[in-house]
Amino acid sequence: VLSKASFYVAVAIVLLATTESHAGASVGPAQQVSVQPKAEASLDELKKLYQRPVTLNFPADNPYTPEKAALGKNLFFDSRLSGANLLSCSSCHNPAYSWSDGQPKGIGHGMNVLGRRSPSIIDAGYGAIFMWDGRAGSLEEQALGPIQASVEMNLPLETLIGRLKESKEYPALFDKAFPGEGIKPETIGKAIATYERLVVSSPAPFDHWIKGDERAISESAKRGFVLFNGKGRCNECHSEWRFTDDSFHDIGLPDGDIGRGKFLPDVIKAQHAFKTPGLRDIARRSAYMHDGSVRTLKAVVDHYNDGGVDRPSRADAVHPLGLSGQEKDDLVAFMETLSGSNSPTVVPQLPR
Amino acid sequence: MKYQILVAAAVGVLTGAGIALAADTTVHQKGKAFSQKEITLKKGDSLTFANDDTITHNALSRSAGNEFNIGAQAPGASTPVKFDTAGTVDVICAIHPQMRMKVTVE
Repeated sequence: VLSKASFYVAVAIVLLATTESHAGASVGPAQQVSVQPKAEASLDELKKLYQRPVTLNFPADNPYTPEKAALGKNLFFDSRLSGANLLSCSSCHNPAYSWSDGQPKGIGHGMNVLGRRSPSIIDAGYGAIFMWDGRAGSLEEQALGPIQASVEMNLPLETLIGRLKESKEYPALFDKAFPGEGIKPETIGKAIATYERLVVSSPAPFDHWIKGDERAISESAKRGFVLFNGKGRCNECHSEWRFTDDSFHDIGLPDGDIGRGKFLPDVIKAQHAFKTPGLRDIARRSAYMHDGSVRTLKAVVDHYNDGGVDRPSRADAVHPLGLSGQEKDDLVAFMETLSGSNSPTVVPQLPR
Repeated sequence: MKYQILVAAAVGVLTGAGIALAADTTVHQKGKAFSQKEITLKKGDSLTFANDDTITHNALSRSAGNEFNIGAQAPGASTPVKFDTAGTVDVICAIHPQMRMKVTVE
């Protein structure tokens, strides 16, 4: 039996709890209802989800100019952007390898083998967040990261700026591209980003098919497209025309790299999660996965069919799929239709 | 015993009053997007995050004074978050960071 005094104490506690509460935000208990699975989209509806944009994508705070793009192209291919004068952006993002490097893992300063594969920069201009773990919020920011990283290009920006200022031709090119702004990290990043936004995949047989040319791809590839959007659940992450949701998922690879989890230690689904890579030109871009551990598209499909390591962080869409041999072949045939006929990239005569 | 009943009644009335006084608004997560880009609440209001997608989401904020992390939220789940500090709260989905919204707490 409570005394009268303890009754008033109890009321006071309740009053405090309901009126003052604790400062900040508090998460309450969840309610759960069942969600109906999405109605299956028709083939025509699916095709519409993958239509390519008709314009390039430049942000308001760094609009396109030909002078910026030309300067950015010079910088992109210039090995003076590395401490040892040996590596340029194009060393790891080489147009001959669909803007990656063909290696399982990137190779940086002093032949240092990096922890992750070099991602292709193809279509990066349409991206929302950059690097495998999303640590760069813009292409401008991303461009400056590897230059300075000791294991990658190993060049402090002040040293780079000194080199560019000493060059006979670069100061005038910066003046043209950024009148009155000079050579500084911001203008270097903006120039490289402007050039990178011109690196866009070419229309591929898949694009001709979704526009109505039934002969553009094989019947196997057409079945693969349906599997990609259905039984395979590939489209849950590899969505829209670049085949990426610019989001982070654990696909069950066994390596110890926690990826996005480094920045979000309290988010279960961020552990072992990496940004979904786009699939344009994918047949030309082995090795695969963030760790370069898978050599062929067939082996990629085998990995997803097996489901990888089952752990709390693993994406819901990744689980054993029960694909038949024919279905696996169809998925590979579909992915092979995503390579366009890229025209050769002309390497610039660099300023001296 | 009489007082226990009174306390229980007081708790019920007071917390019930708390719920009634504070607005409870719902923001939906569907098609990898929040249904509202901006929303204004009063201090003490709750905002319920409903996952209407067929994939897991994870609403989260690191805004000082209003940090919260819903955690992995399964399809069909609704989770209330109560905001007790005035200020601007930038909310993202930790899995799909292009999902962004702003909550202003007055």
